[in-house]
Amino acid sequence: MFVTVAGPVRSAAEAPAATPAGASAAKGAGKTRSRLTRRTEAGLAHRSRRSPLQRSAPYLYLLPALSMLVMWTYWPLAQTFELSVYDWNMLPTSPREFVGLDNFRDVVTLPEMQRAVWNTVVYTAAFAVFSLVLPVLIALLSQQVRGRWKTFYQALIFVPFLFTPVATAAVWRWLFAPTGGAVPEVASLAGIELGNVFRDPDLAIWAIIAMVGWQMLGFGVLVVSAGIAGISPEYGQAAGLDGAGALTVVRRITLPLLSPTLVFLGLMTVLLAAQWTYPLIDVLTQGGPSNSTTNIYYLLYQFGFQNFDAGLSSAAGVLFFLAFGAIAVLYLRLTERFSFYDD
Amino acid sequence: MAFVIDASVPSDSRATARTHSRPSVLGPCSSEDPAEASGAGSAGSGGGTPRRRRADSDLPVGARRSGGIALGHVVLTVAAVCSVFPVYWLFATAFRRPEDQLSQSPFPWPLSVQNFIDVTEQIPILAMMWNTLVMAFLLTVFQLLTSIVASYAFARFDFPGKSVASFLFVGSWLVPFQITMIPNYLMVSQLGLLNTVAGVVVPNLVSAFGVLLLLQHMRAFPSELLDAAQIDGRNSWQALWSVVVPNMKPALSALSIMLFISAWNDYLWPSLILRQSDALIQVGIRSFLTAEGNNWGAVMAAAGMACLPVFLLYIFLQKHVVAAFVRSGMK
Repeated sequence: MFVTVAGPVRSAAEAPAATPAGASAAKGAGKTRSRLTRRTEAGLAHRSRRSPLQRSAPYLYLLPALSMLVMWTYWPLAQTFELSVYDWNMLPTSPREFVGLDNFRDVVTLPEMQRAVWNTVVYTAAFAVFSLVLPVLIALLSQQVRGRWKTFYQALIFVPFLFTPVATAAVWRWLFAPTGGAVPEVASLAGIELGNVFRDPDLAIWAIIAMVGWQMLGFGVLVVSAGIAGISPEYGQAAGLDGAGALTVVRRITLPLLSPTLVFLGLMTVLLAAQWTYPLIDVLTQGGPSNSTTNIYYLLYQFGFQNFDAGLSSAAGVLFFLAFGAIAVLYLRLTERFSFYDD
Repeated sequence: MAFVIDASVPSDSRATARTHSRPSVLGPCSSEDPAEASGAGSAGSGGGTPRRRRADSDLPVGARRSGGIALGHVVLTVAAVCSVFPVYWLFATAFRRPEDQLSQSPFPWPLSVQNFIDVTEQIPILAMMWNTLVMAFLLTVFQLLTSIVASYAFARFDFPGKSVASFLFVGSWLVPFQITMIPNYLMVSQLGLLNTVAGVVVPNLVSAFGVLLLLQHMRAFPSELLDAAQIDGRNSWQALWSVVVPNMKPALSALSIMLFISAWNDYLWPSLILRQSDALIQVGIRSFLTAEGNNWGAVMAAAGMACLPVFLLYIFLQKHVVAAFVRSGMK
């Protein structure tokens, strides 16, 4: 069942195809160029007279990365659009049946899809608390702690961010375990009987949120603290001399100057939400109980790899892609309007 | 958005933080009330210091008060304990004797490595760790190489199609992996790489994040150095490896750390490709979790081992790891 160490070694023999091919070609181009331009012109390469081979140099440099990007991101994206109008069970031997927009109609009417969309909104909003609101509060309240103490606290707070997702799932399942788990033990001291959190349709999603929030918090605190440390203290001093109170300084100076940092954290929240909820849901709840913890990312997986319904999964993926893009564009427009830069 | 952050601490503020003296009022900065401030002030600063203005000092936004420092320590202690307790509990449980696994005592005593021995006997966890290490190492090397070369093309040359190409890299952020996973899976399947580590590695040889991050650094690279290299008769390829790369070591090592950690921690793609294989630790641990259920000592030992390389990296390169992740966001 287990592959031996030979697995990765074999891959080492196959993998280099992508880079060195382009790299050696680029090297050849570079050599030709130097012979032809012959140090007559100083300055950057694009200013010099060049042969066809020299002109292709940037493309050769780009070739490895760009070809892989097209092959494994954009070509598959096009295929997802194509698959979304077919009914197909992903078996190479079975035929694809053209069904037009039926998959899209099915997707939007499926109750689990509606539940997944709603849960995704809940997840994202809750993660914003852990990655934006709490870090801003913690960083503001602790900004006077500096030096070695600051480094010490930050080193500890950052640890969960690096935690392997499966280990996160394992340790929190133990912490929430009905028998002997630390959280139910503490809760029972306070007179609360938690039971099995991951089987409880009302509590399970909050348990997942707590776990991902635990992983996100440290990153947010460090990024916001760095952002605050980068704000020139003179603004606050000047405002203080003018009689501005603490809250006024925070609201009128710190937060506006912090806005680029907060925009970045907001984007990270959305991206990490996709990445980090999946392993926890997959290991702990499989989207249940009764779809209470599923989200869009997990549903795409279930459509494709549990129900083997490539068409349905692709249709959901297309809708998700369009919505995601629209939200991202809207988000960037809004932040362009409201962000405040100190330069 | 060049928002360069220096997380290091100016020396004179470190002195202030250490002595906890010299409270000054230039406008309060945190929302503590005066009573709290004076109470903590007497503890921290030895009381009695007359409050005065220090216009030339390096203060954070607002001003520095010993009450704020005490409050800051409380807030950070709570956050640090919440962050570290699950990690501590993982290792505490792992190092108990197997028969003590339900024990709630805060310290594991007597210590035992029996859980770790049990895990290595039940699953080939060391082979899994080795596989994952090789996989993460290969991904880091290839992603680093492709990122260096591609970002160099963007930073050094102007060429037709440049904006289209750069849009493709930036735009890949808008394509969540879940959307392309079925075609990716089919392609790996056609290549005959299902259930192999190669199938995990091959589609991930390029990191758009790496290209964009290095591009930030390449753009800031002094063009005088490149000019000098050109005068020396070096072509662009030689200049890249003899001038640019040696001068970008901090950025490259920061990127390597990030690429390695994310390769090690990746779960979704390996779990799809290795559906009938436990070659990598993330997937192997999941099977073990399901199989072992409530054998918490062994499960925690396995989970601890799954985190080990990243933790070792963090313990030895703590400053660099933090700086890598935090600064990448500031660019």
